[in-house]
Parts: sequence; C-alpha cells; structure tokens
Amino acid sequence: MRYTRFERARIVGARALQISMGAPILVDVPDDLIDPIEISIMEYNEDVIPMTVKREG
Amino acid sequence: MASKSTVEVFTRKGVDEKVAKLLVENGYTYTKVARANEKTLRKIEKILGERKLKRVLNAIKTKERAPKKKAQKPLKKPKITKKEIPTKIEPLRPIETKMMTMLEKSGRTLPRAVLRDLATRLERVKMPDKLLRQVLDLACERFEGHVIDPNESVGIIAAQSIGEPGTQMTMRTFHYAGVAEMNVTLGLPRLIEIVDARRVPSTPIMEIHLEEDVRNDLDKVREIASDIERTTVIDIADVETDISNMEVMVRLDKRKMERKGLSPIEVHKKLSKAKGLKGLADLRDENVVVRCDEPSYKKLLRLSEDTKSTPIKGIEGIHRAVIRKVGGSYIIYTEGSNLEKVLEQKHVDKSRTTTNSIMEIHEVLGIEAARNSIINEASKTLEEQGLTVDIRHIMLVSDLMTNDGDVKAIGRHGISGRKSSVLARAAFEITSAHLLRAGMTGETDSLEGVVENIIVGQPVTVGTGAVNLVWSPAKKGGQEK
Repeated sequence: MRYTRFERARIVGARALQISMGAPILVDVPDDLIDPIEISIMEYNEDVIPMTVKREG
Repeated sequence: MASKSTVEVFTRKGVDEKVAKLLVENGYTYTKVARANEKTLRKIEKILGERKLKRVLNAIKTKERAPKKKAQKPLKKPKITKKEIPTKIEPLRPIETKMMTMLEKSGRTLPRAVLRDLATRLERVKMPDKLLRQVLDLACERFEGHVIDPNESVGIIAAQSIGEPGTQMTMRTFHYAGVAEMNVTLGLPRLIEIVDARRVPSTPIMEIHLEEDVRNDLDKVREIASDIERTTVIDIADVETDISNMEVMVRLDKRKMERKGLSPIEVHKKLSKAKGLKGLADLRDENVVVRCDEPSYKKLLRLSEDTKSTPIKGIEGIHRAVIRKVGGSYIIYTEGSNLEKVLEQKHVDKSRTTTNSIMEIHEVLGIEAARNSIINEASKTLEEQGLTVDIRHIMLVSDLMTNDGDVKAIGRHGISGRKSSVLARAAFEITSAHLLRAGMTGETDSLEGVVENIIVGQPVTVGTGAVNLVWSPAKKGGQEK
C-alpha cells in the first residue's frame, strides 16, 4: 500500500510521539541521533512502524 | 338553435338538463330567468310546473357554480420515433483498444480522455508494441504524479486559485468587440454574476449557429436574423396621433418594411390582434389606422403607446441581432436571450447555439448543461483577462453549485447559507442569530465539516486530520503492506 503524504505525516508523527515518550526503537540508530522525529522517519523508511491506516469508503 | 352554451349556464348552476333545455327552447336564457319579475315567472311556471320552477329558482339562488366542464380530449398516444441518442463518447479506435488491453495487463488505468489524446497523437505513428508500452508506462507515471491525494483540501485550493487572479482583474471592464459593437459584461463583474447565479445576466447574449445549408448564404442568414430580432411597430413606421379624427395613424416606412420582409397586411393582422387594440385596426391605403372607440383622449394616448410597442415579428427578449462572419460562415449574435424560442426556429443549429444566461440553459437543457455552461463561462471570462486558472478548480465550483439539481449561488443565499451544520453557518455570518435559532429548534450538528471541528477543538477532517491510524503489531520489516 502506498501512503499519501497526509498518511505519511500522520504515521511519522504518531510514532515520533511514542519514541519521545520512551518507546523502544525498532531500527539501529547512530548514537548522536536523538531527535524522535528523525528516528521516526528512519523507521518509516525501513517500513517497521507497527501502524497502518484505516481507509474508509 | 344552437344553445348548448345557454343550456350549460343552467346546468352548471345545478339545474336539471332536461328542464334547462325546455327553458332554452322557450326562449329563456339564464339571465332572463334569474331577473324575471312576477309576470315572467308565472309564464315560466306554465311551462315547467310549480315544483320544477321552485327547484330552478333555488338552484339559481345558490352562489356556487359547478366548474366549467371542459371537453376532455382523449390523450393522444405520444408518438415515439426511434432516434439515436446522441452520445459524446465516440467508439474506441483500434489503437485505443490496444492500449486498453495493454494497460489491463499491467493492472493500471488511464482515463478515457487521456487515452484519446494519446491515440490522436500516436495514430499515424508506426511503433512497435514495446515502444508503445513504454509510452503508456510513462503516461501512467506522469498521470499518477498529477492525481490529487485523497483528503487534500481541494476546495481551499480552488478558492485560492480563483481568488488570487480575481484580485488582478480590472474592476470594471466594458468591451466593445468588433464591428457589431455589442456591449458585453466581462471581467470581475461577469465572474461575480456567474458565481452569484443571477437569474438574468446584465448583458444577455446569444450565439446562434446555423445549419450547414444556410450558414454561408448571407441573404438567408439575414432573413433568419430578422425573424429572430424583435421588431415593434415603431421600428418600421411613424406613429402619429390624430386628435381631430380620434385615431392613431401608423405610417409604414416602405424601405424598413422591405428590409424586414413585412407587408402592410401582416402589420394590420398583428395590430388588430394586439393587446388593447383588438379589432380597432384598419387598413387604409398602404397604412394602418387604429381607431379610438371611446371619445377619450386618455384612451387615445394609451392606444398610441400600445401601438408603438406592439411586436410585429421576432422573438421576445431579443433586442438586436447582429450577423458576424466567423471562420468562413455566418453566426448570429443577439443582444438579449431567449434560448427556448430560438431553438424552435428553423435553420438554427440546436447543438451549437448557446446563450450566456446560465439560468436559461438550466431551464431549457437541464442541470448538466448548466454545469458545463458555468465552467465555460467562468473560464472564458478568466481567459479573456489573460489569467489562466486550471479548469479543475472551476469545475469544482461548478459541481458544488449544481450538485443538488438546481443552480445555487455561492455565498449567503446559496451554499454557505444553506449548509446543514449550524456551526458552519454560524461561522459564516450572523453568528448569534444562527446559534439562537438552532438552540430553540434543537438542531444537532454531526461535526463533519472543517469549521465545526475547529470550533470544538478537534482535528479537522481534511489532510492529516482525516487519517485514522490502526495498531498493527504483526508487521515486521520488509513485509508487504
């Protein structure tokens, strides 16, 4: 499934919130990378974020 | 004696038909019976007898009258001739079918319009299938790049895309185009007119195309134009009021008459049938005279005015018809518009004739035609100002205006003012009145729109806000989503 840019933003955002609150990170991240959003984007690119969207209609 | 109507007057009052016939045969009409004095009543009594007379008189006293019976014509069975319904979709060309199957195999789709465009370009080009596939792939890719994402707030984009060029438009533009020197509302005033869904545009104009066999024949075109243009008496004659003879003299101008293809007899016929002049017109020599039947100067003056404005020829609402040569054939442009009547004229090409009155198109041709006409008119006005707005923005506006079957304006009396959500309406105008009313009538708001959600402080239902996330822990990296 390909995501629209809204869906991408939403997924990355939700995941970044989780990470910022201490959720375990699902990708290997260099030590100096501490921005949750950056990490979330990396996870998104690796396609490991345990979320998907529910499309209606 | 044919006295069917005299009998009917009785029967409508509830008098028995036999009795009524008897009365009529003896020479009594309804008024005679109703206003009869003792003497006549006794005479009637002799004919009818006491009981029947009483019944008749009772019937006459009642105020009610049975409704006039109209002879009902048996409904004609409508003749349905089988006609081919015109379709806009042309049959597929061979190359198109080929492309379709190719797309189907790769599991992609392209809209018909795009396919058609491609086909027209590629039709005469010889190319191997492999190359064609590449072309299609590229076309698909480009097309998908242009497709708008779901949840995009297209309305706001459309509003901005039309609004911004709108600021650059000249506030007031009057345009005298070509030799015809017809006044056309253009620019911002016209755009406002379209969006407001005005009943009548400030300068209604028709573009009448003609059928193929006449469109190059100037004489014939002139004839058709003069049949369309409204001609009143004052256009073809001098009207003089003769006070000494109490009559209105209509001195017909031969040259003008000839140009319009009219004869004095026709003018006389029209005048004697005209409103307020019934049977008063006479033909004298080559002129027409309207006699005044009352010795009243007031009446004479009114007759003179009525005579001047009597229509002789042409279609109501069309003040002027101008012939212009466009691309080798003649087209009639008119000031004023009456689509329904013009389409009934002979030699008028019904498929190409248009008007700039959107409401008229809606009434005559229906809502889909009105939608197209809004799109055409709006993009034409913008284009004339040298502004390019993508047609899809205008299409969205047009769809919104027409989606419930009639043409609604954008704004207070149209879309914004008739939204189902209270909060949306309150956010638009007169907040307190809307809220108060809603409170009194107990309206509910399902919080579906954008404004409502902003008011209550929720994510809006467009863009990112419309995405619903679900937790899907089973997913592992690399798994197909």
